[in-house]
Amino acid sequence: MEFEELQQIWDSQNNQSLYAINEQALYNRILSKKKQVNHITNTSELLIFIVNIVGGCFILGTTIYNQKVNISMYILSAWMFSSASYLLLNRVRRIKEGHQFERSMLGELKHALSTATYQVRLSQAMRWNIVPVGLLSILSVIEDGKSTWIIIILLIFFMLAFFAGGWEHGIYRNKKHELEILLTKLQHESSDDNH
Amino acid sequence: MTDNEQKIIFENWLGQHKGLIFKIIRAYTFTAMDQDDLFQEITIQMWHSIPSFRQESAVTTWIYRVALNTAIKWIGKERKYYNQPETKDVAQHLLQQGKEQVDERLSWLYEEIHKLDEIDRSITLLLLDGFSYKEMASILGITESNVGVKINRIKKQLTAKSKKYDYHGI
Repeated sequence: MEFEELQQIWDSQNNQSLYAINEQALYNRILSKKKQVNHITNTSELLIFIVNIVGGCFILGTTIYNQKVNISMYILSAWMFSSASYLLLNRVRRIKEGHQFERSMLGELKHALSTATYQVRLSQAMRWNIVPVGLLSILSVIEDGKSTWIIIILLIFFMLAFFAGGWEHGIYRNKKHELEILLTKLQHESSDDNH
Repeated sequence: MTDNEQKIIFENWLGQHKGLIFKIIRAYTFTAMDQDDLFQEITIQMWHSIPSFRQESAVTTWIYRVALNTAIKWIGKERKYYNQPETKDVAQHLLQQGKEQVDERLSWLYEEIHKLDEIDRSITLLLLDGFSYKEMASILGITESNVGVKINRIKKQLTAKSKKYDYHGI
């Protein structure tokens, strides 16, 4: 068959109705989807922000309330407030950058890749953030003269959190990699074919 | 734009251009559940795109652009639906297969399209639906010469396979 014949076969379906739409079901789905406002990125940003702000306030509040002189606690709360601010700044930048992509397939892919890159960066930063938070928490427990068991439990908890962070980071990295492959396929094929 | 105006445009677009959406769905999915899911994604994206439509391109081109972009991105998360239990509204199928006689050659063509990667699939659909190089370049966001190179290769590939199909007389 020549390509024109393939096109004729293709055009033959224009007069057919391949599917019938269940309009009520479609309407119900659109309504339910509209309710799902929180996207993965928004939700994780919000959670990390709340955890850092609430955690920072709690640590600062209890340290001041108990009139303790525990330097690690003050540094830890300052660190948590800084993490929340860093996240907020990145979120503003991400939303601003989101409007810069055109509506072509290339633009959409670049947008998806930019979001994925952001998720990879965020998950990496939050994973390594566990190290100073963990160290400062353990130091403050030592300064308070608490039992060794509490220190061991805290250490295990932060180690588990670090490994879980690595697993989450891996998911985002794979997603980003898939998008990079698609983008390469779309952009660079012509030069490959010309060689 | 009010919700009502958006709803009128949406129903109008869906009524007039559902054929092209069905083609994209058929080219990108295998199961009825996937068809429903992709159809839902495309219609939702189509709904959201209405306020940003500036009439600088034809409605068909706009819908094709939205639908293909959605399909490409949908493919990446497709697998996660395989093992998901159906919720009440998912169990209500959005699309029901039409009762028209199936053209075997058309089924073969869709099979061949399925074998292509996501990007080539989009280009093939645009090509078969008669879009110009310029329109394709604008939809895909790549240069016309890049489009040309890809089309040449796809055309050669499809015609070569169709010759085998003719030869076997299926």
